[in-house]
Amino acid sequence: MASRPSMAKLLALPPSLRRTVFSAAQSTVKNPEIYDLVCIGGGPAGLSLVSALRSNPSTKNLKIALIDGQDITTTRTPSDPNAFSNRCSSLTPSSVRFLKENGAWDHINASRTQPYHGMDVWDGVSGSKIQFDPSDRVGGSILDTIAQAIPRSRLSESRKKYELGRDATVATMCENSNLTSALLHRLRETALEFEILDRTRVESIQLGPEPKDESSLDLSQWPIVTLPGERNIAARLLVGADGANSPVRQFANIPSHGWDYGQHGVVATLQLDQTFSEGEMRTAYQRFLPTGPIALLPLPGNKASLVWSTTAPLATKLKQLSPAEFTTMVNAAFRLMTVDINYMLTDASTNVAEELAWREPNTKASETGLPSYFPRITGVQEGTVASFPLRMRHASTYTGHRVALIGDAAHTVHPLAGQGLNLGLADAEALAKCISRGVEHGMDIGSCWCLDDYNAERWAANNAMLGVVDKLQKLYSASSGPIVWGRSLGLDIVNRLGPLKGALMGAASAS
Amino acid sequence: MASNPLARRILSLPTQLRCLALERSLATPALRQLPASRTYATYNTNFNTTSPPQSSVNHEEVSHFNALASSWWDPHGSSRLLHLMNPLRHDFIRKCANSQGGFQQEKLKFLDIGCGGGIFAESAARLPNAASVTAIDPTPEVIAVARKHQRTDPLLLEPNRLTYLNIPIEQLPLPSSPEQGFDIISIFEVIEHIQSPSAFLESILPHLKPGGWLVGSTIARTNVSWFTTKFMAEEVLKMVPRGTHEWSQYIQPQELREWARRRQDLDMTVGGNGFQTMGVVYVPGLGWKEVSGSEDWGNYFFGVRKLE
Repeated sequence: MASRPSMAKLLALPPSLRRTVFSAAQSTVKNPEIYDLVCIGGGPAGLSLVSALRSNPSTKNLKIALIDGQDITTTRTPSDPNAFSNRCSSLTPSSVRFLKENGAWDHINASRTQPYHGMDVWDGVSGSKIQFDPSDRVGGSILDTIAQAIPRSRLSESRKKYELGRDATVATMCENSNLTSALLHRLRETALEFEILDRTRVESIQLGPEPKDESSLDLSQWPIVTLPGERNIAARLLVGADGANSPVRQFANIPSHGWDYGQHGVVATLQLDQTFSEGEMRTAYQRFLPTGPIALLPLPGNKASLVWSTTAPLATKLKQLSPAEFTTMVNAAFRLMTVDINYMLTDASTNVAEELAWREPNTKASETGLPSYFPRITGVQEGTVASFPLRMRHASTYTGHRVALIGDAAHTVHPLAGQGLNLGLADAEALAKCISRGVEHGMDIGSCWCLDDYNAERWAANNAMLGVVDKLQKLYSASSGPIVWGRSLGLDIVNRLGPLKGALMGAASAS
Repeated sequence: MASNPLARRILSLPTQLRCLALERSLATPALRQLPASRTYATYNTNFNTTSPPQSSVNHEEVSHFNALASSWWDPHGSSRLLHLMNPLRHDFIRKCANSQGGFQQEKLKFLDIGCGGGIFAESAARLPNAASVTAIDPTPEVIAVARKHQRTDPLLLEPNRLTYLNIPIEQLPLPSSPEQGFDIISIFEVIEHIQSPSAFLESILPHLKPGGWLVGSTIARTNVSWFTTKFMAEEVLKMVPRGTHEWSQYIQPQELREWARRRQDLDMTVGGNGFQTMGVVYVPGLGWKEVSGSEDWGNYFFGVRKLE
């Protein structure tokens, strides 16, 4: 009974104070091991940060540990060359450049990646289209002026890159597992002391103990990561690459704001009726439906990756369909009028194959905006249909004392622009650059003097990207009325202005 | 009696103008008349002539920095600009060394004079090529702040990596042989706070190893620097407390060069690289930037090499 009132008093405190009081009371950490950098999360963002640090002469000798709760060292890329994981990302040219500079790109299984060279995007309601293709990137415009006027904006850099670059690739499709194992290969190759603690759950993160006396080491402002077996690691810099529910972000008390779209992204690996050989020009397709965008992204041969953002109930329904029905619904979603799609998805009694067979011939491609060379989907790879909830989240800052956030721990973005992973890689690159500058100038790499530049470089850029993607999502959720007329007019005008598209693509690909 | 109306008129001016008027009427004419032969006269506030050796320390300055001590490591405190400038100090030291084809030795011994809260001393101690850093300051409170902050980084507590001493330069024991001297001696933002810079600089040189560099930074004594450091930084923007700067003690790069030229032990070969300067300007929103030519009117770094 004696502890009751004190417990009640503790619970009455604001959460931040409560945590401090609680962890101070709990802090029994003895002789922690001291590391320069501890990265929690072994996804592409965390691994690319570490491999970037290992590839740089000034940071390669830092003492680093990478911790992940899951098994990341066993490769999960399917061994069958014709089977592809449903977790793919579209890597922009600047992400590929970063991975090349790291030396990780050499270890990518290139036969499982697919560059694409054009993007067809059209409005599911009005049929207006916007075609992204690299030939639009030529020519100066008012955007160049704007780009130059905004210091640190990546717009000008990306504009230049596109004008100089001879590579006509919009982006490269790559399975996340392919990327992860390439990064791990690269890290093993460097043969430097480096600890990967996978299948290791972080038990707690807390501040270090108060110093014993006036002259002893004071780790009271250092994050201490406690691992199973009473292993304690003190981190000069703790990097949270630990995903949307980042424990590191929670430890640092950094709020993350945003909203749920009430949508789910349905992913699958699909087969097409056309087989492409290596080196052929490929196109990505995206149609904006009022329930969310549906995208078909090319994979090698006759394969493609699907990302269909839709309402949660429809996503559940799609996952329950048989493979044949699912294939039919995907064809319908790209080819039919929205009213027909809604009917097929919501009326339980319909036979979807029959519905598509008689509705499609009565649908004019000119009205839906369907590109003439759009492939037909012939099947779905078994076991690849899955879904995840769509959110928009942005941490209010990426840095704190001895803490930095990268990737999904810092931001979650709607997948319609395929930017999530690219933003994470850009974070890793920027943070690695700040750390190397810090080491070269004798900074404490956990201090704000070293980390402020990372926050300044990435936060505003990501905020702009998150904002644009969010607005696009909202814009295309409308199914009728002035917004549709307005946006089709907008899309048509954008389509006629090559340089504007070039800049949009440049900015999208640069991050 | 004749001076009274003038004094009254000066006193009725706003503070910042009053400072200027006072400095103009007292300090500048003397300098203007004898620019090449500035004597760096020692008007030490420490009048106790019996205490040998004479200290370069200005006691008003000591108490001023005592008041600053608590905010030394505050990211938004008055030392923010110094923190932001710190990377450029390393760039400048590298520039000096590179003018001689880089450092000959792998590990360097640093001495930081007027280390304050340890901004430069800590950063030098973290460098992979630092053998040891000795950092001294006459203000006890700032040394206490520096030692306290040192304890928050286990690397800095490694034996001999970083040693703070609460002494003026005159009390630092001389090296047993010139070869035992320091490779780099730094006096960042120090000489403008010293009343007899010439004597101060001369007391430093015996600690410098032949071939080593004495580097520092200060502010040129111009209308521009008065406007930016006294008027804008202290009065208008209040980025630093009033009284941080003593404009009349600012030193021109050509005065330093003149001083160095008269020293036999410094590398002042005509056309040589033994004397380096680099002008830097603080641009709000962008930070400190190197601006060539700005050493003649604003903040600048200087470096001078001891002959081998």
